[in-house]
Amino acid sequence: MVDILFIGLSLGSILLLIALGLSITYGAMGVINMAHGELVMIGAYTAVLAGIYLGANIFVAMPLAFVATALLGWLIEAVVVRRLYGRLLDTLLATWGVAILIQQAVRLELGLTFFGIQIPGLGPGLQNVSVPEILSGTVAIFGEEVNAYRTFIIFVTIVLTVLTWWILYRTPIGTQVRAIIRNPQMAAACGIDVKRVNAMTFAYGSGLAGVAGVMMSGFKTVFPDMGTPMVVDGFLVVVVGGVGSLLGTVAAAGLLGEINGVFASVTNDILARAVVFATVILILILKPAGLFSFKGR
Amino acid sequence: MSETLQRRLEILAYATFIAVILILPAFADIFWLNRFAKYLVYGMLGIAIAMSWGYSGILNLGQGLFFGAGAYMLAMSLKLASPTSLAQGSDTPVPDFMLWNAEPGAPTDLCCITGGSWLWMPFQWVGFGAFMGIALPVLLAFTIGTVIFRQRISGVFVAIITLATVLLVRLLVIDLQPITNGFNGLTDLAWLTIGGFEFDPYLLATYYLIAGILIAVLIGARLLVATRAGLVLQAIRDDSNRARYLGFDVPKYQTFFFAVSAGIAGLAGMLYVIVAEFASPTFMDLTFSITMVVWAAVGGRNSLLGACIGAILINTIEASISETEMFVEAWKAIIGLIFVLVVLFLPRGLAGFAQDASAWVVGRLNRGEGSPASAVGQTRNQAAE
Repeated sequence: MVDILFIGLSLGSILLLIALGLSITYGAMGVINMAHGELVMIGAYTAVLAGIYLGANIFVAMPLAFVATALLGWLIEAVVVRRLYGRLLDTLLATWGVAILIQQAVRLELGLTFFGIQIPGLGPGLQNVSVPEILSGTVAIFGEEVNAYRTFIIFVTIVLTVLTWWILYRTPIGTQVRAIIRNPQMAAACGIDVKRVNAMTFAYGSGLAGVAGVMMSGFKTVFPDMGTPMVVDGFLVVVVGGVGSLLGTVAAAGLLGEINGVFASVTNDILARAVVFATVILILILKPAGLFSFKGR
Repeated sequence: MSETLQRRLEILAYATFIAVILILPAFADIFWLNRFAKYLVYGMLGIAIAMSWGYSGILNLGQGLFFGAGAYMLAMSLKLASPTSLAQGSDTPVPDFMLWNAEPGAPTDLCCITGGSWLWMPFQWVGFGAFMGIALPVLLAFTIGTVIFRQRISGVFVAIITLATVLLVRLLVIDLQPITNGFNGLTDLAWLTIGGFEFDPYLLATYYLIAGILIAVLIGARLLVATRAGLVLQAIRDDSNRARYLGFDVPKYQTFFFAVSAGIAGLAGMLYVIVAEFASPTFMDLTFSITMVVWAAVGGRNSLLGACIGAILINTIEASISETEMFVEAWKAIIGLIFVLVVLFLPRGLAGFAQDASAWVVGRLNRGEGSPASAVGQTRNQAAE
């Protein structure tokens, strides 16, 4: 039983890792970033390329991926998202276009195939990243042997969640972000540079996606289409949790992860996913604004 | 004065579109027409999206559910009518994949070859499949719509619920391998036969069947949104609270138009099966459902004709650039770029652009009167956000 709950916990932490960045961009900025899954994919590819060109393991790839995807996110904000504030559903469509562009860019090796240049590690094929020695095998927790890499993912998720919480609730910039979540016009009137804070929020959220990508690369195949299912999962977690609520995102990720883990152990993976979707539909019908939502937004 | 001119321009646009798709066979070979018939089916999906999104403000990211439901219903009948199903050595036709999935020694009959195969029995009559192709999507939409609109769920939450629904059903269809053939879907279908006439997909009559139904749906939908109910619907989209205070039963109107949109999508699914000769779970992929929404956004979500043309246009462009030597690898990226540019710079799509352009011309003709049509368009667009 403990091992099933542990698998559920690790699934939940992966969901949380993906949803964390999505949650702060959606909550703070009212932007549905459908390209978030592609940022996860870029993070995974950073791990692949870092392994090939730098001989680096995923510990080194994590900060690299954070920087790379944060920069990409900053670029997406500046070029596309900035023009669409206040048009929620249009951000969904435009970032879907961005997602297709990024996918194809990776598949076409960022356009270099047109010039006959090959980059090993990019392109349409499948890639794998090996897990460092120290994280393979099992570790003993509460007398149970559990997968070391899954434990590591849970650890990274906890660290990033606490970091995000700390930034949001204990720093001046976090206060500004929360003010924007509550009421962007009022925040602007109080002298907060909404545009700058939004750009930083988006870049930070994108960076979190990059780190999630590095984590994913350790146990999943890396390929250009890997992002779409992830953005769906992340999005469901954010909406079920309640827009703009960090606590809600954590709770929803844990809940959906456990449901997935438990049902996968008694039925099969496909039905477990179906049960997750059914749960999401049910929760949204009963509590249309999500599990934890504030009023008066 | 300018209002009537605008109206005449709109009628002219509809007439031109109808004339073009009716005349096209004179200039194209049958293989191209078969492909274009699929784009006409996509055009019908554009109409369905415009009706639910542009006119009702309901962004349905799961329209593929209704398309897929329509497609599977007719495909089940056509599968039973196919020569391979008839040649399984039993009195009644049995789909070949059921034999592969059956327990050894199970009777080769629809009643009990695999668990749940009896669900296929009424589909031996093609009329039942065709009827269910519309009835099932409408029923599904009616159920979903009743639940979510009574709860006053709106905007992005409707999008999430519909998205989760289509993914849920897709997984169930895949998991029910013994009666749906899972991932592979239904292939090797018979041609639709009505009164002894076979609608071979590579036949001019089949093209005209689809073109004719598209035209009927387009005109019917246009007339429907112009009725009093359609006007109430637009009032609900613009301000649902105000409509509620005025005494309109908001969920009833929303559910009705949601179901009509689903019925159109189901019809489109059936026609797709007739020209493409298969039904598969990819119809219920998220990517396909979002792509439909993007077609409508590019064409113009507030215009039935615009969304229809948007779908046809994008698919035609896609097909032609994917065949151009230089772009054979990059065409998807180009389509992605078009999406981004249209959303950024033409928020009301090509139809909005055309309306603005015609309003400008009309304004020039009636100098001094301004351009009321363009002002109406602006407020409409803002309210739809």
